[in-house]
Parts: sequence; structure tokens; C-alpha cells
Amino acid sequence: MATVQVSEAEKVYILHGIRDDLRVDGRGCEDYRHMEIETDVVSNTDGSAKITLGHTAVLVGIKAEIGKPRPMVPDEGYLEFFVDCSANATPEFEGRGGEELGTELSNTLYKVFNNKRSVDLKSLCISEGEHCWVLYVDVLLLQCDGNLYDAISIAIKAALFNTKIPRVQISADDEGGKEIELSDDPYDCMRLNVENVPCIVTLCKVGHRHVVDATLQEKACSVASLIISVTHKGTVTCTRKVGGGSLDPESIFEMTEAGKRVGKALHTPLMKLLQEEESRGA
Amino acid sequence: MPTDTKRVRGPEVSQSPSLFLPDGRQRDQVDVRPVFVRCGLVSQAKGSAYIEAGNTKLMCCVYGPKETERKDETDMKCGRLTTDMRFAPFSCPERGSWIQGSQDKDFSLMLQESLQPAVCLHKYPRSQIEVNVMVLENSGSVLAHAVTCASLALADAGIEMYDLVLGCSIRQDGASYVVDPTYTEQNSCSSVSSENQGGLTVAFLPSLNQISGLQSDGEMTEETLTAGVRTCIEGCYKLYPVVQQALTKAVRRAALPPPES
Amino acid sequence: MAGLELLSDQGYRLDGRKATELRKVQARMGVFAQADGSAYLEQGNTKALAVVYGPHEMRGSRSRTLHDRAVINCQYSMATFSTAERKRRPHGDRKSTEMSLHLKQTFEAAVMTQLYPRSQIDIYVKILQSDGGNYSVCVNAATLAVIDAGIPMRDYVCACTVGFVDETPLADLCYAEESGGVSSLALALLPRGGQIALLQMDARLHQDHLETLIEAAMTACKGVSKVLDEVVRQHLQEVSVLTGE
Repeated sequence: MATVQVSEAEKVYILHGIRDDLRVDGRGCEDYRHMEIETDVVSNTDGSAKITLGHTAVLVGIKAEIGKPRPMVPDEGYLEFFVDCSANATPEFEGRGGEELGTELSNTLYKVFNNKRSVDLKSLCISEGEHCWVLYVDVLLLQCDGNLYDAISIAIKAALFNTKIPRVQISADDEGGKEIELSDDPYDCMRLNVENVPCIVTLCKVGHRHVVDATLQEKACSVASLIISVTHKGTVTCTRKVGGGSLDPESIFEMTEAGKRVGKALHTPLMKLLQEEESRGA
Repeated sequence: MPTDTKRVRGPEVSQSPSLFLPDGRQRDQVDVRPVFVRCGLVSQAKGSAYIEAGNTKLMCCVYGPKETERKDETDMKCGRLTTDMRFAPFSCPERGSWIQGSQDKDFSLMLQESLQPAVCLHKYPRSQIEVNVMVLENSGSVLAHAVTCASLALADAGIEMYDLVLGCSIRQDGASYVVDPTYTEQNSCSSVSSENQGGLTVAFLPSLNQISGLQSDGEMTEETLTAGVRTCIEGCYKLYPVVQQALTKAVRRAALPPPES
Repeated sequence: MAGLELLSDQGYRLDGRKATELRKVQARMGVFAQADGSAYLEQGNTKALAVVYGPHEMRGSRSRTLHDRAVINCQYSMATFSTAERKRRPHGDRKSTEMSLHLKQTFEAAVMTQLYPRSQIDIYVKILQSDGGNYSVCVNAATLAVIDAGIPMRDYVCACTVGFVDETPLADLCYAEESGGVSSLALALLPRGGQIALLQMDARLHQDHLETLIEAAMTACKGVSKVLDEVVRQHLQEVSVLTGE
């Protein structure tokens, strides 16, 4: 379900709870719900991850394909994002119903990764101006229960961590043309450094406070949310206000600060978890 | 080597050209480009506005309120604000297409989110208000000016609003920043890989002191971001009198007694 | 077959199976809490997710309402990363529209739609990883999802793709076999009554062989139905333990 209907009485209940730092499911204002991450779930991809956050479930698959670098930056590869709001998540998304949300989510993802440090794009270059790796990051929404942005960004980080790009050999043939040879050995692969990949924290303004990881009920009570993507160092790579309402500048500053704090704290356990999962698989 | 006496040699010490912007504005100052605003450009539309800031030119038309096309629960109590922002094919250095791309859709969405808090939509149940923005020339800070222009067009259409919405953007480049960047400034990035590198756009309701739209990308520390938002708000205040003046002028013109016929 | 030997002289297939052997089927029911019914099914390397919403009031245009039974609405889609070559669009192309239609026809034959007049049942199937037999895996997954939703059916619908190589029918084709130029046939069966819900073949086959092929497909479907039945029973047992009944 992308949205739920909440009655006035329920709204008051949720609002009063949050005022006293107690949410309907017993969490504090800056706590996430139970999160489960699984990597390497789809073998047809070069990297994949599935995450469940409360009832929100997201599957991310990354495919690396050889493409032509963009003319502006001939020595870099690039990332392509696509968010598929499938009808599995909610019948509202049937047919073209999910496209609007899908473009909104993918456009935000482009913004989040629109900087030089998130992913080392130079390492995706194969031969300057001719060939580079294009990482197609395909996000599949399996179930929506609020806080899509955070779940998607964490899943992307996990999937990028899991991505194995085959090593390539460039050899010149007789006529001076270049030939690209992919390594046959599945273990001979390149890994991405995901240390700087940001995670998105969505802060939902409910009453006079803001909450992290809002459920659909809480989202229905809020006027506006602020999306902040934070790296492990606390650098903000993207912010965005979503939702119909407006916020006063002071609360924006408060929310950015909280977002930075929460986002920074999110990275360490996530990386630890991913490394653990990796060593278990090996 | 004999010295070349015929050649005028340059000065020993030189100033970086980046100290001053090409159009004579200064960095690190809330120095917005001169703005020209005008209401009532398209007589067919309910309200319209035209804005020119430096070389950025865009126009906005507002149609409605009229009956909604989509009929669901929410429309019965509240009006719907739809926005459509497009770039003319000739607006950018490279020719675009008439078809709305995903970038345009993103701009439309941002515009809608920035304007919605300002419009008294509950006064227009069962109806929809259409805002169409056409960018004629993209010379940077398009979204910010689109917000300003659209709110002016809404006011010109006589749509009830809580406040005007003003937009301002900055471009952070290392330690220094440019307010209201041009197209080249927006897309250039210095080779120095510094921490702070990014763009920020804020939509602001000046008399209510509320931020209705916020968007940033690139890399910034939290402090820079906060400072940037403050700078943008200051930039919005600079625009305020100009926009107010344009609006009063439009109202005066509308209030003039019709010429005797 | 050029290059690939689909059936060795010893009677083994590319992935080491015997001619009539099915791929390993693993399934889970009730994977999502929000949907009315859901199931995840793996058949070899093909993985599908089916979700059922309904029966509920008609959504959208009411003109499609049927006064004596429920409308079954199916959407088949493939994850963009499900195939070896990346797909551009998850659904809406000709192939997936056709597949949606086939699923709709299959389930109209199996679900007791007359119990829910003027309502709608949505069945959404997504292929997460594709390795041949997409249609049959979808049908099997959707059957489990419909059962999970508690919607009465005449019987399990089980589907299987079979191919014909060297005078031998091969059960449950994988992608390599499907693309190897085998004339294949997809069959959806209601096993108890032996009724065929859907039969599809778009390749050349001598009519003398058709009967053997259908026979083989029916046997394979019955095999699948046993596995599905086991999954349902196990799921029910788990659930009843949890609810303490």
C-alpha cells in the first residue's frame, strides 16, 4: 500500500505519542524498525541485495554492461537507476500506475549519486573514450510500508558491496583495433569500494518533532519530510523536501543535524553486517 | 635570448579570473542577477508571468480553477495543483526535444511541492489549478526562478494564497559560493576535489518565514548546507521587493477604469 | 541440434537430469503480510513471486463488472535484471501482455469465480530470475498464492513445459533447452480431474507425437502437484502451530 487512511482520533494518538518520544510500535524518535539484509540473491545479476524494513521489502539487482562513456567525462563509467514499482507492492501500481513514483525515486537516486566520491567512477573505465562499465541499478519494490527511500538506499549500498565486475583484458589485434576479453574465472573480479556510498535518512515532521523511519500511519500524520543522504563521514550528498507542507528554517536545520547523526550511525553496523555476510558466503 | 621589445608583456602578478564572475558579480556575496518581472503576459490564460534573470528567461501560465479530471476522495475536499514544467528545445546549448523527459518531470514535481504549501487549496474543492512553466532560455538557476514566476502567475490569476513563494539557488564550489549561478557556473566544477561541491535550491515563503522547497545535490558538509540555506533565504528577501512591485503594478493596471468606448 | 547435445546417449540432459525428471521445486507461502495471499516459488533457477489481492470491489472502470462471477485480473512482469541481457521495461511489452492473458485464462478455469459476483481478484506475478519455463513457474507460484489468499479453487493448477527431442519427451525445460530449438509445449492441468486448463504449443511437431508429449506433460504436472500439495500442508501445519490450534 502506498498510502493509508488514518482517522482523526488515530492521528491525535500518534501525535501525542511522538510528542512524548514514544511511537505506536514502541520505538523512540530516532530508531529504525527491524531490518534484514540478504545479499547475492539473484544469480543472474552481478550484484544483488534484498532488504526488509518492517514490512517494506526491496530487491536491488545490479548488472554491469559494457557501454560507451559519456562524452563529457570520457574516463569514467556511470550508473543508471531504474525503480520498478511493481503491482506486487500494491494494486495501485498496476499498469502505468507506479511510473510516477518510480521516476520520482530514480531521479532522487541520480541526485544522491551525483558527486565524485560516492562511487569511484574512474575505476569503471575500461579504455578512455571508448568503453566503460555501465552499472544498471534496478530497484524492485516488493512491498511498501513506509520509508522507501531509506530502504532503497541501504539495499543499493549492499548490492554495490556485493557487485563483482569481471576483470577485462584489452589486447590490440592485428589491424590496431582493440579487443576486450572478459576473464573466464568467476573469482577473478573487481570489487567496488562502497565506503563512501551514502545512505538516505528520511525525517518525517510529525507535530513539533521529527521521526526517523516513519511507518505509513505516521507519514499520514506528517506535513512534510526531509530526505537527507549522508556518507559515513557525515557529508551530505543530497537533501530534498517532500510532501505537501512547508517547514520553518529552524526545524530544517534541526532535521539536517539529526539526519547527519542518524545516517552516520547507520553506516558502521551496515558495513560490519555486509562483511560478516560476505565471509559467511566464502 | 634577445628580449622581444615589440611584445607587450603581461603584468608580473596576476589575479585569478574566478575572483569576479564574468558578468561582474561577486562571489561569496548575496549578489543575485538583476531581475525583470512582469505579470499578465498571456491574455488567454487566467494569470501569467514572465521573469528574466540575467539570461535565464521563463514564462508561466496559470489556468483554472476548473473541474478536476481525476475524481477521488481527496479532490472533494481540497483542490489539486498540477504543474508542468518544460524546457523549450532551444533553451539549452544543446537542442532538446519537445517531449517531457524525466528531468522535466522532476522539475515539475519540485515546483509542485514548492508551490502547494502556499496555495489555499481548501478554498477550491473539486477543482484543479494548472500551472505551466516554459523555460525559454536556460542560463542557470531555472528551478528557483520558475518557483518565483509561478507564484507570481498564481497571484495574477487571483488564486488565494498565504504568501508568495520565492526561489533562490546557490552553487557551492569549495569554500566559496555563487548565488544565482549561471548555466556555466552551475555545470562547471573546479578540478580541485574538495569536500564542498554542490548546488542548492530553496523555495521560501517570506512573510510566513517557511521553507516550502529544498533540494541539494553534490557533496556538502552539514555546516555548509545550513549556511547555504541561510544565504538562499537572504537571496529571496532581495527578490521580494521586485516581485511585490511587479504584482502591485499588475493589480493597478487591472484596476484602471476601462477606456471609454 | 547444432553444437548442443540436449540428450546424451546415456539418456542424460544438459543439467544431468533424466528425461522425465523435474527440476527441484522449493516454495514458500505467505511471504508478504500486506497482500491477501502471496507465494515465492523456485523451480531450478527460475524464481517467481506471486501476489494475490482480493476478492475486492471492482477498481477503475465498473463497466468490466460481471454480474455472475468475479473478474480475474492478471499482470505478468519480469524484473529488469531477471534475464542474462538486461530488460528495458518490466512489463507492457507484447510478450508479457500475452503471458498475462494466458495466466488469466488459466485461472479463470480453476478459481471458483461464481462465488464472488461483481468482484475482482488480482493476481500479480513477477519473475525475479528467469531460466526457462516462465509460464509454468508463474502458474505454480500463483496457485500457491491463491490458496494462501483462501480463495476456493476447483483443484491445484499445475503447469509444466515439455519438449520433444530424439523421440523422447523432456519434462520441465530449462532455458538452454528452450532456446536450443526444441519444439516445446506448455500445459496447465487440474490434476485430480485430469482437466486441461491451458495448452499451448507454437512449434512444429508431428501429430503422432502429440499424444505422447501431452501424456508426458500430464505426468510432469502431476509430479508438480504433489510438491505443491506438500508445501501447502506444511505451511498450514506451521501456521496452525503458531496460532495454537
